[in-house]
Amino acid sequence: MMLKRDKKEEEDGGNPFNNLEKSSVLQEARIFNETPINPRRCGHILTKILYLINQGETIGATEATEAFFAMTKLFQSKDTTLRRLVYLGIKEMSKIANDVIIVTSSLMKDMTGKEDQFRGPSIRALCSITDHMMLQSIERYMKQAIVDKVSAVSSAALVSSLHLSHVSQEVTKRWVNEAQEAVNSDNMMVQYHALGLLYHIRKKDKLAVNKLVSKFSKHSLRSPYAYCLLIRIASKLIEEEDAGSESPMFDFIENCLRHKNEMVIYEAAHAIVNMKNTTAKDLAPAVSVLQLFCGSPKPTLRFAAVRTLNKVAMKHPAAVTACNLDLESLITDVNRSIATLAITTLLKTGNESSVDRLMKQISSFMSEISDEFKIVVVHAIRSLCAKFPRKHNVLMTFLSSMLRDEGGFDYKRAIVDCIITVIEENPEAKEAGLAHLCEFIEDCEHTVLATRILHLLGREGPRTPSPSKYIRFIYNRVILENAAVRAAAVSAIAKFGAHCDELLPSCVVLLERCQLDTDDEVRDRATFYVSILKQQQKSLNSAYILNGLQVSVVGLERAVHNYTLEPSETPFDLKSVPLATQTMTEQKTVTSRDTGDMGMTKTVDKPVASRVDVYAEQLSAVPELANLGPLFRSSQPVELTESETEYVVQCIKHTFSHYLVFQFDCTNTLNDQLLENVSVHMDGSDGFEVMKYINCSNLPYDKPGTTYTLVRLPEEPTSVTGTFTCTLKFIVKDCDPNTGEPDDEGYEDEYVLEDVEVNVADHVQKVIKANFGASWEEVGPENELEDTYALSSMSTLEEAVKNIIQYLGMQPCERSDKVPEGKSSHTLYLAGVFRGGHDALVRAKLALTDDSGVTMQLTVRSTDPNVSEVLATAIA
Amino acid sequence: MGLFDMLARWLGVKKKEANVLVVGLDNSGKTTILNQLKPDDTKAHDIVPTVGFNVEKFATKSLSFTAFDMSGQGRYRNLWEHYYRECHGVIFVVDSSDKLRMVVAKDELDQLLQHPDVKNRRIPILFFANKMDMREAVSSVKCSSLMELELIRDKPWHICASNAMTGEGLHEGVEWLTDQIKDLVDKKK
Repeated sequence: MMLKRDKKEEEDGGNPFNNLEKSSVLQEARIFNETPINPRRCGHILTKILYLINQGETIGATEATEAFFAMTKLFQSKDTTLRRLVYLGIKEMSKIANDVIIVTSSLMKDMTGKEDQFRGPSIRALCSITDHMMLQSIERYMKQAIVDKVSAVSSAALVSSLHLSHVSQEVTKRWVNEAQEAVNSDNMMVQYHALGLLYHIRKKDKLAVNKLVSKFSKHSLRSPYAYCLLIRIASKLIEEEDAGSESPMFDFIENCLRHKNEMVIYEAAHAIVNMKNTTAKDLAPAVSVLQLFCGSPKPTLRFAAVRTLNKVAMKHPAAVTACNLDLESLITDVNRSIATLAITTLLKTGNESSVDRLMKQISSFMSEISDEFKIVVVHAIRSLCAKFPRKHNVLMTFLSSMLRDEGGFDYKRAIVDCIITVIEENPEAKEAGLAHLCEFIEDCEHTVLATRILHLLGREGPRTPSPSKYIRFIYNRVILENAAVRAAAVSAIAKFGAHCDELLPSCVVLLERCQLDTDDEVRDRATFYVSILKQQQKSLNSAYILNGLQVSVVGLERAVHNYTLEPSETPFDLKSVPLATQTMTEQKTVTSRDTGDMGMTKTVDKPVASRVDVYAEQLSAVPELANLGPLFRSSQPVELTESETEYVVQCIKHTFSHYLVFQFDCTNTLNDQLLENVSVHMDGSDGFEVMKYINCSNLPYDKPGTTYTLVRLPEEPTSVTGTFTCTLKFIVKDCDPNTGEPDDEGYEDEYVLEDVEVNVADHVQKVIKANFGASWEEVGPENELEDTYALSSMSTLEEAVKNIIQYLGMQPCERSDKVPEGKSSHTLYLAGVFRGGHDALVRAKLALTDDSGVTMQLTVRSTDPNVSEVLATAIA
Repeated sequence: MGLFDMLARWLGVKKKEANVLVVGLDNSGKTTILNQLKPDDTKAHDIVPTVGFNVEKFATKSLSFTAFDMSGQGRYRNLWEHYYRECHGVIFVVDSSDKLRMVVAKDELDQLLQHPDVKNRRIPILFFANKMDMREAVSSVKCSSLMELELIRDKPWHICASNAMTGEGLHEGVEWLTDQIKDLVDKKK
């Protein structure tokens, strides 16, 4: 009967499991309880359950437990297929059902039994249900299984040990000898898995890993998989040590290029081309191997080779140029993915003259390739634009025609990203690019992209020669789109109004119309902007329209929430909210989601808790540190020890308005010691006063612990920098390395750490001002300070810019951190907020002189005179 | 196939099958008893505390048994109930040398008897007063009074003293259980 039904379903051409219903399948699972067992039917139902779980169906704990216990009864069947399905079922259900421990003994019996078919899978199932406590009791059997002569059993045990090491690193470490023995196995998989386990056990100990690699690279392994793993380990070591081709590991990898197995050869070539410190000579053999692969009859090899070359082409275009001929022949490959990668590689390595020809070739089969490869093409075009700015015309037209084609969200986003970078990097392409984007939003189904483009138009549009032509595109959105896009359009129009005086009256008219919108958010924004624009004050425009809110969204949410919990007479102070941290890399994502008004943005992706928010939460959990006020800034961690020493200590500086908190993350790397009452004693410079040490009560081996030191800042507002000597003080208790059992008696000891520096950057938070000029006027010249310095130690403008940014810890605006090539002078704009919430802006005019390095004219404006003084003297 | 099966059963060639549940406190000898009952070639050499349960098979002359050997450790006892419904008989093993925990055993027995899956069925219960060879062991009669077995009126039960190490007393008990289950099956027909 069932057979017939199956057949019918197959004839329908569909998946027989397509329309399964969870509840009815679980109902069917009750027949597991019947005796005698019908293996065929039970197997079928078990398959259904596995299918459902793998499709992501969630099964509640009670239902799962019921089905699980029914399944345990299938252990009485001797049917191999059914039993192996049961093992799979146990593995899948081990995380959702309760009391899964019930099958422990049954599985242990199977793993030591006679039937080899049961032994491997039962080991895997057993390890998935085993917790920390049970691990001891199966240890003996696992050790036996690892060295079992049946390869399936040995492999299963090795892989399971890897999984178990997440449960308890300590126990699996004791299986080293068995794994060592298994590496010598003749079976390819066993050897591979054993090597994997050995590496995993030792991976924290760099010396041991070094030994491991040098040992196995000499005595030849049989398994190509093991070879590949060894190559990966070796290349990771090279990367960590920052070594180049002189390392013995490199010789090993290079030797692998002559291995007889293609997989190993590819892995070695891949490893070499991805290394950091390689010369053209080191690369040559690897590239020539890849070149050979390009002509292979196997499509997989061709694909792997061309994909790797494609990635390398950015870093070492010269090395890849040697393969150009082979790549040319791959353009016509029947496999479109290979062809695309070949063309994009050529685009990256080719010269300006070949661009037109290649673009034509791509457009001939653009419609035949999948979105994923179209994105590869887009990335190639992006790098082309950076390389040949003069070609922007051809490339822009190509991009815009791609934009008009069908395509998924990721594809469109890649194109929009690409156009935006081109606009930002190449001022000549700006007008054309903005025009293409305007055209695109006329027919754009992705709200996220539309809002992003509108934001960009709002920022860039007003500064073009004829801003008025963009207004029409933007206002069309107000008429035609959904609420989120309308709101973004309103913000964009307001920016035009704020920036261009001649457009102000018409912008106000448009915004007044938006006040009749059906959506609250759109109306609110329109009302808000109209009333500000009508004031006609530059400073208001700058603060509320052109430059957005600078606080962290998560922090704002928490602060407002706290305020509503404890209402007080004093109004809510925006300065108490931690600022959004914007590092250089994050800048792009931040600008894309910050649509520039009171933080009520609806189009925000999920706001991520920034580092400061995470630290603020951690610090407020410590009762002694809870009442210091809002956390202003947290520095990047600084290492106070060498990484290989007995105790590893990192320091993070947290700045509050009147205090500094030094957070020391300590790790004890001695397994025969337990540290108690750990604290870091600091001896400070003048004015800094150590208030309190908050000890870490105990610090066992390899478990990080944290201790804090609280320091009050000097009263004198201009003394902000200092150096502290640090000593780690603690009570040592010797303990047994295996059990961790400590002695009762301890003795005091100390350990000298490196000094901690507090500099100006620790008191400044980076803030991005989208419109620096407006902010400069807004702050005004009251507290302006100006001075000229000769920076004789710097030889280039780039170096000077980098050092100034690092020293002041402020955010470069208007892309002024990038020095155009071949210029001898440059102006750097920096924006930030000083501790206490004072806005600070810096303008540094740099000029390169032949004899005395770089000359700098530094102008500082701030809302507080002391801040100006601190910043102006910081460089000297 | 079906026809052949029936014919075989009718001729009494194929044995009937029965599920039994083996329960009792930890260290009372459940796994050892089953190990003794198994055919010689499948016997295990060392017995370790059971975690969860094990399925064992053994046969008497006329029945083949599938035994669910449950773990007796405190934290697993609440899992016995998952296997009550399908069993045709229960073997309850008592350590007759452990007078101190006899009350605990009685407690577990009462819970078993009160369980909805057991309460209204006439399933036979076989008691092994195990470890009879120990010096401090009590007799089976004393054991049954300590366990207040005489209060079980709605189910057939039987107690025998046993020594799982030598196999003494086991076969007498299993014979009784075989007869009871066959009776039950015959009555149902």
